[in-house]
Amino acid sequence: MIDIENLHKSFGDAHILKGIDLHIKEKEVVVIIGPSGSGKSTLLRCINYLEQPTEGMVSVDGIVLNSEANINDVRKEVGMVFQRFNLFPHMTVLENIMLAPVKVRHMDKGEAESLAKTLLARVGLADKAESYPEQLSGGQQQRVAIARALAMKPKVMLFDEPTSALDPEMVGEVLDVMKSLAKEGMTMVIVTHEMGFAREVGDRVLFVDDGRIIEQGTPAEVFEHPQEERTKNFLSKVL
Amino acid sequence: MNFNFDLVVTSFPLLLLGAGVTIKITAMSVALGVLIGLFVGIARICRVKPLRFLAAVYVDFFRGTPLLVQIFLFYFAVPVITGQRIDPYVAAVGSCGINSGAYVAEIVRAGIQSIDAGQMEAGRSLGMTWGQTMRYIIVPQAIKRVIPPLGNEFIALLKDSSLVSVIGFEELTRRGQLIIAKTYGSLEIWFSVAIIYLVMTLSISRLVAYLEKRYNTDDRH
Repeated sequence: MIDIENLHKSFGDAHILKGIDLHIKEKEVVVIIGPSGSGKSTLLRCINYLEQPTEGMVSVDGIVLNSEANINDVRKEVGMVFQRFNLFPHMTVLENIMLAPVKVRHMDKGEAESLAKTLLARVGLADKAESYPEQLSGGQQQRVAIARALAMKPKVMLFDEPTSALDPEMVGEVLDVMKSLAKEGMTMVIVTHEMGFAREVGDRVLFVDDGRIIEQGTPAEVFEHPQEERTKNFLSKVL
Repeated sequence: MNFNFDLVVTSFPLLLLGAGVTIKITAMSVALGVLIGLFVGIARICRVKPLRFLAAVYVDFFRGTPLLVQIFLFYFAVPVITGQRIDPYVAAVGSCGINSGAYVAEIVRAGIQSIDAGQMEAGRSLGMTWGQTMRYIIVPQAIKRVIPPLGNEFIALLKDSSLVSVIGFEELTRRGQLIIAKTYGSLEIWFSVAIIYLVMTLSISRLVAYLEKRYNTDDRH
């Protein structure tokens, strides 16, 4: 589903990603962990070309990302959820969800509205359709953001630290939605600091440090029996 | 000091006529300026390098030279090139509008850049093009933020429109000069002219304050 080969990314002199090779299968849930500044968010953002790789190849569902035209084609199939939600503040919750299906997929408005309502019910916010983002709590906003991404019926969902900006009591409601998505067989790539969640939901855990994948394996392998010194060191601080 | 109130009263209708012309050219220039400013402002931040460059040159030139000189250029210098006289009305609205466009462009640019970068990323990540994201997400949010600076720009433009009196265009200031030439009532007439400008600019700032309030109460930011 996602193939990444020899991916490098630099911002000026800062070499953030130093040669990443990664292959993600359909329905796989991959969790990326690692210290701040290790490049894990940059890696995620390269998958839908929000960051343009300096070197290397990224392909999603067989489409190699290299021109403006196919970037938009790929983005239609790749949903993204941001740390800070990035809902559109001048639109209602319903309008937030309907916008892309109507403008990008050319879905008819009635159809988009019923889809939006179905998705809202699914994330437990059926009663918030007419609210504006600022009237919702952080956890609710993030669930709307997930519904907004799902409205494009993506084949892959990317999550960039989806719970890092939330108050602790709201983390659970967002993780629950993500768990149910994983159960339904969505292909997911998740950058997170929630180790319990990573262990429970991930098919594969990647430990990234200093722009490289240091270690990967099943959650049991990485969390219970880390092989690398840096992984052990990191886990000892966060677990 | 002798203040002749009768002169104020008798010349007031003529001055109001001039004020009407001032309002008219200001309104036309504002319309032209906003139109130009919207396109130039967006061109300033688009990804097409030559467009960005041209827009920057436009803004630099019209903000970096005096409006008075631009009016002279438009009215006296352009006909030398084209061989055709320019109607003073066209010269007045043209030079004020083109000048204002440069300032509006900077207001538009700043307004758009004040919107969180995450909004553009969210739009693009949903598969929308840059243009669609601008149109449906960025510009609607930016409009709200540019209302106060645009109001200031309109007030400045209304006052600056007095400069077109130099090409003989009979707006408020020119009317005043003409009346003084006949009556020698400098004190009375300039005083009246100032008051009329003040009433007009205060009206605009009230209108802007109203718009600002309306946008903030019945919508979100």
